[in-house]
Amino acid sequence: MLILHCPYCGVMADETELHGGGEAHLTRHGPGSSDEEFHDYLFAKENPRGVHFERWRHVNGCGKWFHAARDTATLEVFGTYSAQTTEPPQAIRDAITARRPGWTWRHLAGSAK
Amino acid sequence: MSEAASALDGASFEGLVRVADAGLRGMVTLRGDLGADALHAAVKQVSGCDMPGQRKITAAGDSAVAWMAPDEALLLCPHGQADATCAALARALDGVHHLAVNVSDARATFALEGDDGALREVLAKLAPADLSAEAFGPGDFRRTRLAQVPGAFWMPRQGAARVICFRSVAQYMFDLLTTAAAKGSGVGYFQA
Amino acid sequence: MRRYSAFAIAREALRYHAGWEKAWASPEPRRKYDVVIVGAGGHGLATAFYLGRNFGITNVAVIEKGWLGGGNTGRNTTIIRSNYLQDPSAAIYEKSRSLYETMSQDLNYNVMYSPRGVMMLAQTQAEVRGYLRTAQANTLQGVTTRFIDPPEVKKLVPIINLDGPRYPVLGALWQDRAGTARHDAVAWGYARACSDMGMDIIQQCEVTAVRREGGRVVGVDTSRGAIDCDKLGIVVAGNSGVMAERAGFRLPIDSVALQALVSEPIKPCMDVVVMANTVHGYMSQSDKGEMVIGGGADGYNNYTQRGSFHHIEETVRALVETFPMVSRLKMLRQWGGIVDMTGDRSPILSKTPVEGVFINCGWGTGGFKATPGSGWAMAELMAKGHSPLAEAYTLDRFREGRFIDESVAAGVAH
Repeated sequence: MLILHCPYCGVMADETELHGGGEAHLTRHGPGSSDEEFHDYLFAKENPRGVHFERWRHVNGCGKWFHAARDTATLEVFGTYSAQTTEPPQAIRDAITARRPGWTWRHLAGSAK
Repeated sequence: MSEAASALDGASFEGLVRVADAGLRGMVTLRGDLGADALHAAVKQVSGCDMPGQRKITAAGDSAVAWMAPDEALLLCPHGQADATCAALARALDGVHHLAVNVSDARATFALEGDDGALREVLAKLAPADLSAEAFGPGDFRRTRLAQVPGAFWMPRQGAARVICFRSVAQYMFDLLTTAAAKGSGVGYFQA
Repeated sequence: MRRYSAFAIAREALRYHAGWEKAWASPEPRRKYDVVIVGAGGHGLATAFYLGRNFGITNVAVIEKGWLGGGNTGRNTTIIRSNYLQDPSAAIYEKSRSLYETMSQDLNYNVMYSPRGVMMLAQTQAEVRGYLRTAQANTLQGVTTRFIDPPEVKKLVPIINLDGPRYPVLGALWQDRAGTARHDAVAWGYARACSDMGMDIIQQCEVTAVRREGGRVVGVDTSRGAIDCDKLGIVVAGNSGVMAERAGFRLPIDSVALQALVSEPIKPCMDVVVMANTVHGYMSQSDKGEMVIGGGADGYNNYTQRGSFHHIEETVRALVETFPMVSRLKMLRQWGGIVDMTGDRSPILSKTPVEGVFINCGWGTGGFKATPGSGWAMAELMAKGHSPLAEAYTLDRFREGRFIDESVAAGVAH
């Protein structure tokens, strides 16, 4: 049972109140992009065994989208944060680094500032 | 014009607690920046209630205002006053970005009355929310799911609760509540 | 290897069962093999078996980081069927089902294949149309299925409630030679046969890196030392993305936990497999009497092979309407297995950007039924460089838009 803190309504919401929205911080590629970009956007997904960033929606609650950082191997949650960002905030990165030194995800890394 | 009727026409049930169709209730969804002074003033002027804080509900007389999301409040009023409430909000918020819609007929409301512990237990059987007295009491408002459908509830006072859901699932909600409140099904989890 | 037989049982009964030999050997890894298969689950062992049986390639090691058959082979709901819609699917799943028919004889190992019949309930008009279409497609593909009406459903499954309030049973797609098999025995039988051919099955040995030279595989580093090989087969459902990453390429898959549970054992009450995809649950009765119940997948990427509590409620709630007797059942255990989900819900059986490395993954929620067919095709692909059964399942199909859309036939809602 996954429990995430909704940053908008402040509850610790159990996964049955939530809906997973898949990988976070995607750059969308559509008309005008190259075949390679479009393929990667559709299929080359992040599927790490470890630190992962995702979008979630508090669907049976305030209805808002938010972001979550968690470990897919242990279900440990490092934190949740606003949907209005294209990168995880430093506080979230620090929280992950404290628990998983040397973590990486796409171009992000534990030591990144 | 046809006469308005509530979803289950006053159906009621006696079990661990009393469960009843609470009848027609006026409801107006107000969307906008709930932190803005203009919305606070408009809500106060129209309903007499203060703007509720996060996951709170405020009440004054026949009216109440519930916090639904950072940009959404639900104004409760007598059923016949919902359109007037919308119009009053529109006047008070002239020039301020907002949306006010009468959603009264999209909803059903249930009243639960009885022993406070039993009442918390009936809701806790259905919703993944902390119903302990420390976590939830009069003045709090929680949107969640009840079994398979979204819903929201609050406690107007100790020993009473109100549940709101979509009118289309009113019968389902009534069946859920009455099953959870069936005689002999008490667990006693919240008994002191 | 001594053959299993009625005579052998009688002989051993007379000498305190002291004469049974180990079903497979557990040797130390050698320095070099012609072929290394990563993953000693059903698919990996079947691949090794058919490499030996069909192509005479027996200098093979099957490397497993855990224990043999301890991944999805030991976590599925044992259903075998081939009633898919698309031609490439029907070909490989029907090949697989037909191999199950003779598997016990082929392996001299009782895998308890039980062609008891699989029924996929149609509970909406859309499902009726979909299954009618599938039945017709199956006829053209040479897969024996037919659409049956509610009275026939009731005759085959007396415990069913045809008139559920929300989803009445409007008919079903019925495949009478589909069924179940003993999942562990499939892995054990293949392992015994592989060991008998001289292959090395090496458990508790994790592949930590894939060594490459000039874009070609030359070996693997493992927790028990380096092993050289000419060809490498990656058959590690649930960990495919991680292994692919170690080999230097990327897979278009999401890893999610698929949920299942079993009830307490009860007397025989249902002798077919029933899948109810609209309400999202499926059920069969094991030989021990437990009702084996398959649920949905978790809605987020994860590698934790564990049951998710709320799925018990969701799955059982779904089944109660169609099977009222479930409301009186106590559930005994629940668990989860990590499945590789591709975008079109079809597997990947393919060469990879690294020469000599072959990948077999992406079976989603339905890999067990494919075990022998998958091994058969993978062995051919690795031995000859191409296989008619695997032709459509390339890694490139996503780039080229040649999807094999089985999101409906794959059954479990994803």
